[in-house]
Amino acid sequence: MVVAPRAVSTPRRATVRADLEQVFRAAYPRVVAVAARVLGSGDEAEDVAQEVFLTFGRSSVPAGEANGWLTVAAAHTALNHLRSGRRRASREEAAGGGDAVCADVADTVVTRDERRRVRAALARLPRKQAVALVLRHSGLSYAEVAAALDLSPGSVGTTVRRAESALRKELNRHASSD
Amino acid sequence: MRHPTEGTLRRLLDEPAGVADPDREHVAGCPVCLSGLAAVQRDAALTRTALDADVAVDVDAGWARLSRAVTTDVAGRQPVATRSRDWRSMLRSPVVAVVAALALLTGATAAAANDWLPIFRTEKIAPVTLSQADLVAMPDLSAYGDLDMAQEAEFRRVPDAAAAQKASGLALPQVRDLPRGVTGEPAYQVVGKVGATFTFSVEKAAKTAAAVGEPLPPPPPGLDGSQFRLTAGPGAAAVWSGGSQAPALVVARVVAPTAYSTGIAFPTAVGYLLTLPGLPDNVAAHLRGFTGDATTLPLPVNSTYLTASTADVGGRPATVLTSRDGVLAGVVWVRDGVVTAVAGSLSADEVLSVARGLR
Repeated sequence: MVVAPRAVSTPRRATVRADLEQVFRAAYPRVVAVAARVLGSGDEAEDVAQEVFLTFGRSSVPAGEANGWLTVAAAHTALNHLRSGRRRASREEAAGGGDAVCADVADTVVTRDERRRVRAALARLPRKQAVALVLRHSGLSYAEVAAALDLSPGSVGTTVRRAESALRKELNRHASSD
Repeated sequence: MRHPTEGTLRRLLDEPAGVADPDREHVAGCPVCLSGLAAVQRDAALTRTALDADVAVDVDAGWARLSRAVTTDVAGRQPVATRSRDWRSMLRSPVVAVVAALALLTGATAAAANDWLPIFRTEKIAPVTLSQADLVAMPDLSAYGDLDMAQEAEFRRVPDAAAAQKASGLALPQVRDLPRGVTGEPAYQVVGKVGATFTFSVEKAAKTAAAVGEPLPPPPPGLDGSQFRLTAGPGAAAVWSGGSQAPALVVARVVAPTAYSTGIAFPTAVGYLLTLPGLPDNVAAHLRGFTGDATTLPLPVNSTYLTASTADVGGRPATVLTSRDGVLAGVVWVRDGVVTAVAGSLSADEVLSVARGLR
């Protein structure tokens, strides 16, 4: 076994891109936020963000495309985590202030239990719908969502609308069956 | 004029400038559309609230963590969390579920049966090398029906090998000679049986097709509502820590995936599945190669990170996976319905040496 070099600056292999720290510092909060939308948990979202940046660090994604790439990778990776069934209810309940969510325009306050249902519903959505939903609610434009998912900008609205409708139905279905 | 679609109404909320003038003018004066717009707006607001997660992030701490991970990565060792996640997610991702379902469909040449019938039993594993783009584009099973995870994977740590054997029913093999750099006693983990039932839904498949703007090919009779049951596990693993974060070596055993069906015309069904919109053409082409074999589990290999080759372990065909950066290698094979894997921050030669020396 080779003895580990002591610093990143003297790697045995040139596998890490030079602009990693700069990109990381600028984009880390946003990448965590995207993953947290899917997972509802800050800790788990940070795990996802680390995974995404590790992959990015080894990649040759052009710097100009880094933000879009990171956002899409965060959505996909977080959805993979969600669907792989490794999540713990307790971690979800610890998420982002639990039910102290501002009701805003929605007339429904999202409770912890509803949060759990939101994650379950997200996991059941077709992947394209789930990704479109997360990207759109993470602030990507229709053109950016379209590019990420190989959709026409015109069909992004339809995809997002279907996802939101399905999500509402899932939440109502569970609420009425309680 | 025709009412604009709900998708257009949705975009009107976010990017009114992206909606054509006639549509905007129509909506403004149409009670039906205004009512539809209100409903769309309610769902959008509910979703925004549902997905809201106010997370405080410490960028410096995050960077320190990533730096450590990068350092160990470059030095030839990946951090424990990332590595185990890579392997676990590879083995349990929806992609694998799709491939497993396709494999079971392709595999079953038996006539339709009236009861749960074992139609696929893993006797060997074969790598299917796919690009990152193909893997990302791969739809998961929920696009084509309902996946009910009857038993989800639960990992837990147990104190010793005897406890691992008791919990999993599998005897973990002993490593004869630890590779250089791997020392100490391993930690033991077990995972329970994982089971899922997939019910094919023509309606869902049609929706998926519509979402990508393609027509659904006419489904063969009997496919709608037909069910497939997949099981795998239990399993156990011995994990040698590699110093600060990285496990240097993992030896794992798991009861191999098996599939059952309530009965359907399999060759027809798989031919159909492989033509569905959403599945990349070259993926479908790869998977067609497995038609007619009810015992080979295709293992998707991400060509961006891994290379796959074959080897022999104790007379069994084995798949050797090596990360392209040379820091990680693993070998996996099947004997008597049990999958054994050896992986670590090692070279392919080292994992093969461990694998061949297991007792």
